[in-house]
Parts: sequence; C-alpha cells; structure tokens
Amino acid sequence: MTTNRKSLRWILLHSGAGLAVICSLLTGLRIASLARPQVARFEELLPQGQVIELHFASAVAITLIVLIYIAYRLIGGRRAAGHAQVLQWPGWHRAIIRAGYPLLLLSLVSGWLLFAGGARGVRDLHYLAAFGVLVYLALHAGLYLARWGRQSLLRIALPYWGPRSLRRWMVGSTLLVFSVLLFTGVWSATREQSHLPLTVTHIPLLHPEHPPMAIDGRTDEPQWQGAAPITVYTDGGANFDEGETEVTLRALSNGEEFYLAVRWRDDTESLAHLPLMKTERGWQVQQQGFHNFDETRHYEDKFAVLLSSSCTFGAAGTTHLGRKPLKDRPANWHGKGYHYSSNGQLHDLWHWKAVRTNDMFLADDNFIGPPDQARPGERRYTAGYQQDGKESGAYVMNWQWYKPGVILPKRLPPDPKQLAALQSAGGDASEWVIPWFDYKPYSPKQDANYPEGTVMPSVIYNSNRFEGDRADVRARGYWQDGYWHLELARKLVTGSPLDVPINDGTCLWVSAFDRAQVAHTRHTRAIRLNFAPENSR
Amino acid sequence: MKIWQRAFMLTVVPAATALAALLHQPDFPQPTPHHFTKIDYNGNPLPHWSGPWACVCDQRTGLLWEVKTDSETIHDGLWTYSWYQENDGEFVAASSNPGTPTNGLGRDTFNIGTPNNGDCYFEDERCDTADLIRRTRKEQLCGEQNWRLPTTGELHSLVFTDAKAGQPKIDTAYFPKTKRGDYWTSEQGESLQKVYKHLRRGALAVSFVDGQSITIPHRNAAFVRLVTENSKSCH
Repeated sequence: MTTNRKSLRWILLHSGAGLAVICSLLTGLRIASLARPQVARFEELLPQGQVIELHFASAVAITLIVLIYIAYRLIGGRRAAGHAQVLQWPGWHRAIIRAGYPLLLLSLVSGWLLFAGGARGVRDLHYLAAFGVLVYLALHAGLYLARWGRQSLLRIALPYWGPRSLRRWMVGSTLLVFSVLLFTGVWSATREQSHLPLTVTHIPLLHPEHPPMAIDGRTDEPQWQGAAPITVYTDGGANFDEGETEVTLRALSNGEEFYLAVRWRDDTESLAHLPLMKTERGWQVQQQGFHNFDETRHYEDKFAVLLSSSCTFGAAGTTHLGRKPLKDRPANWHGKGYHYSSNGQLHDLWHWKAVRTNDMFLADDNFIGPPDQARPGERRYTAGYQQDGKESGAYVMNWQWYKPGVILPKRLPPDPKQLAALQSAGGDASEWVIPWFDYKPYSPKQDANYPEGTVMPSVIYNSNRFEGDRADVRARGYWQDGYWHLELARKLVTGSPLDVPINDGTCLWVSAFDRAQVAHTRHTRAIRLNFAPENSR
Repeated sequence: MKIWQRAFMLTVVPAATALAALLHQPDFPQPTPHHFTKIDYNGNPLPHWSGPWACVCDQRTGLLWEVKTDSETIHDGLWTYSWYQENDGEFVAASSNPGTPTNGLGRDTFNIGTPNNGDCYFEDERCDTADLIRRTRKEQLCGEQNWRLPTTGELHSLVFTDAKAGQPKIDTAYFPKTKRGDYWTSEQGESLQKVYKHLRRGALAVSFVDGQSITIPHRNAAFVRLVTENSKSCH
C-alpha cells in the first residue's frame, strides 16, 4: 500500500481543493435557493447562516489552489504524479478527470465575473457549472470509492512517508507557510479592497444661484449635475426581467445632509398593494404568498438601502440564509433567511415603499440589530430587522385581522364612486392610499353597496406621515418609462442611537423589489462612500 | 465488499438522502405556549395567532383585560378620559356636566374626580372613566359585566420591559393600539406633586412610556384599559 501513497503536497492540495469545492458548492446552492425554488426543495441538505462570506472565501481558496496546482505541474509535479500512478484505470475515468478541469474553470470564471459586477446570463452559467462540478465530484469520487473502497480514501489521506532531506522539509514547510499567507493576503484584499466607490460630491449648504434641494425624485437641480454616477448590477429578485435590474446611484452632501439619487429599471409600476376584492363570500385579500410573508404578485414596488460602518460581504455580515439560522429563535416562513447582526453592531436600513411611504415623502427608517427575542404573539419573527421608534403617524392595513379567506375591512368609502378609478385602469399612486377620514368605519349596511368584483385599496394613512425617529429619511420616487427614480435625504448625523452616522468610508448596499415583499435583488460588493473634499468643485 | 455492492451503496445512500430531503419539507413555525390568551368578543378563547380579539386573559393573574382597537367604537385606543367615579364607588350614568364644582379634594357630595374632560367620539359630551365603564358593562364585552379600572398592581402586571424600540412598554402583539402614555388606575386620593401640587389630590396612573406609576390630576385626559376578575373566560 505504501507504494500507492501520494506525496504530502499532493494530499494537501487535493484535500484543500476537495474541501473548498464542497464548501463552495453547498454554500452556493444555499445562495441559489433564494431565487430558485427547485434548489430550495433540498434546503435541509444545505448549510444555514453566514454562507455568503464562506462562499467567497472558498472561491479564493479554489482559485489559489488551481494556480498552485498549475505551478506544481509545470515545475515538476507531472513527473512525480506519473510515477505515483499505481492504481490502474480505464481511459474513460481519465476522461472524467479531464472533464472536471474545464467545469471548474467555468465555475471560477463565471463566479469571478459575478463578483466583478455581473452581467445577464452569467448567474445561469455559474449555476450550470456548479451542477457540472457536482456531477463531476459524484463520478470522480464515486468511481474511486466503488472500485477501491477504503484503499482509495487511505491513498488520498495518508502521504508517502519515506526519508526526506532537511532541504525538502524546509522547502515544503516554506511552501506551506507561503500558501497560507497567500490565502490570508488575497482573502483580506478581497474583503477590504473590493468595494465599489461612490463619490459623494460636496455642494454648498447655501448657494446664491441654486434653489434648495427638493426631495421630489427629480434630479433637475443644478447640484446634481456634478454628481458622478455609478451603476450596480443587481439580480436574484422576484419579477423584474429575469430577476435582474441595474441600479444607478449618485450622491451629494452639503456637510449637513446626505442626498442619494437612485434610478432602476422596472418595466411595470406596481401600486396594487395587497388589494381587497369583494367576492361572493365577502372581502378577500388578493395574495399568493403573503400568508407566508413572501408575496410576489400583489405587492407594491420598493427599494432598500442598507448603511453600515462595516463593509463585510453579505450586507455587512447581516445576511443569514436558511429557514432557521438561529437555533434558539423561530424559523422563518419562506425559508430564505434573516437579517441580523451577530456581533451587536447596528446597521441602518432605509426602506422606501411606493405606496405605504411614498405619499408621506419618507422612507421607512429601520435598522438591523442583534436578533430580537421571540415574541409568542407575533406570527412573523424578523430577527434583527426592526423599525425605529416613532412618536405618531403610521399606515395601517384595511382589515380587522388578516386571514387567507374572508376578512372584514376596517373602513369603507361612503360612496362607491370613490373606488371607480381602481376598477379598470388601476389608478395612480394616490388612489391606492386611503386617507383615514375619507372612509368610514365598516358597517354591513354600507358593505351592501359594493358589488362582487369591487377592488379596494388596503393601505390606510391614519395621519399624514411618521413623526420621530422613524421619519429621519426623506424620500420621494416616481415611475416613468420603465424606470423608477428615487431621491433620498438624511442628516449625516441624526443623533439617534438607531441611526448610523454617514461619513467617508460608510458602506451601503441597495436592493430593488418588483412587487415583492422580501424577494429583492442584491449585489456582491459593498458600495463605499467616498466624500469628495469641499473644494473639489 | 464487492465493487457492485460499493457502487450500490454509493448510489442508493445519496439518492435516498436527496429524495428524503425533497419529500420532507420543514414544518411551518408554530406558536409557543404563553400566559396570554386572546378572547373574542363573545368570550371564546382564540389560538395565539388568530384574531380579531376583544379581550386578553392573563393566566398568571386570572384577570381579563380589555383590548384597544382603531375601530372608532368605545374601545378605540385613541380615546382619552378624565378620572371620574360616581356615587363613591358605584359607576352609574353620568349626570354631572363638565365643570361640576368639586371641593378641594376633587370630590362633591357623592362623586369623585372630574367628569367629561377626555376626548372621544362616542359621548355627546366629552369622556370620563365612568362613561367607558358604564358602556362596556352594558355591552357585556367578552360576556362580562364587571368591568372596572385596574389597580396599580394589576396594571403593572402588563408592563413589558422588552418592548421594541419606541413602542409602549407592553406586549403589543396581544395589546395593540396601546399608546405611549398614562393609563388610569382605580387608586385615587394620592397627593399631587410639583406643578400639580395646588390641586392637592389626584389618581394614580401607569405610564407605558417607562412602566412607572405617576399621580396626575383627575382632570387630566389619560388612556384607560379596563379589567375584570372572576370572568367566565379567564379562570
């Protein structure tokens, strides 16, 4: 058996490659399960938690091992490997091994292309390559195990242990240390230096010739002309065109406030947010996934911005995938995962909603903190995703209690004509919001005036807008010609313990939602704010 | 083990594992036991994640609590009430007009407190605690007739210090529409302090901003959550 043994360096490379590939495959399939229901069917076999960073770390490891292996073969490994080839195999197994090389290469290239910025179809290519690698692993390892059993395991685990010169030990140890240092350095550079820079152009607080900044979604103020745009490819969301959309961002600051202009492609303006429809049995909430908190049809468009002093992969390390990433907390209903901070750090989350907050001229000021305690009365557990406090103001839903079947509305319009615009064309944004006093408390008598098939909005503003901490982010968006245009503004420092101060080096992530409750698009690399000096313009 | 046996194992075990994962989908979350039970308008218990509900039974204390709404009925959480008790403990139809003269102790011949100094829609005049108690008894909310103001200790039993940021210190999953403000208790005759000192005596309230007790004048408009004991649906 000793003569069958591989060299230590071969075993280290092979084991490292095997572990990294398996890690990459499992974490990658978990990531893919977010947007591919067929993969989500196997969720119990997939790892949970902070898998995104693990996926990138394994990609770095595989890439380095491939490069080291190529160097090893070029320098002399080919001769050594030829001598060690004792187990005899038919040619077709050699063909399987050879087929693994291009598959692995395709997987690596497509993966790094996604990391670099992505493009249409690359995600699919990466997914197919991963499945190719999975089949390769099954054939490669399976055939060895079937043919040689335990002997094959011993062969890849126990090195040849013959006499070695001191020089060989020194060279081997040096190479090993070098490899570990190389991995550490490349991984550290990947984590720390891969951000997308977004220049925050300085504008004067007051300019004699420029009007004040109006947060109206329209970037027609002259101040915006000097803001350099960046475009971020995001994908993995529900709807959109193949789940993808490009987001263009521009940023300004006047030393007091931070302004962000966002534009993203969305072919449809979705405003019908969980509308109510009168049926033969009564009013019903139109939904196809809301009961499991994953609506992807009857929902408003949204946009989210996460801000953090951390630039760690996976939205500042807050993304924890899987149905139950926290052992001592409730599972989620959709199996996608939670956002929470695992180190106690607080991250800001601005959540603009085309119906629920747009008419307030606000984005919902939320935060991501440590996982909340389980609350037995709440059907939906949201882990670290929480709302800032508010003094008053809110939107409420127009049902006394949500059920998948018949519900009782809280309020009805006194005159059915008030709903006329929504019955055919769908109505504009303002018609999907109910001002509290435009409707009256529900009564069966009034309900009788509404025929079957009547559509009614479900979002009620019971005051004009939020007040207090939750109202720190001003925002207004509009949809035109297949694009949403959104303008957001917030003080650089609000003083709230639930808000992250915005300064040079703050990282942000953006996500677009196309009539989806949680299935948002995402991008890999953090966007890092680079505050331009005041005299740069 | 022969080659075919190993090949069989290497094929069947992964395939069976994948098939088992495919067929066995994780269960949806289920509610966990809790000391609060939702009670519907007629006094029937509801599962934890059901609704709507009108009362909550606290199994720890055996008390049945009124639940606030945004329905513009007498149970709307926005309504406020001045503290007023008629006939020394007997809560009957309010007969006093706003501004009924009281003596220095906030008491006239039979009545204690200040009538009709809160804000609501359901009274022709403004509202006081006696109005809400009288109407809630009359409608037999959750099948009960003995609704009353809670004692300080009873109301403190609802204080929940782990409330979410900016929310009132109460479990809002069971007690929605609770305001960050003062809620009256049945305990009155306490000495007033500071700016209210000249009014001499007031009633105790529990603040759901911080969960602390505070003595405020009867004339103040504060919120109310009624309670009853020995109820049919909470024992």
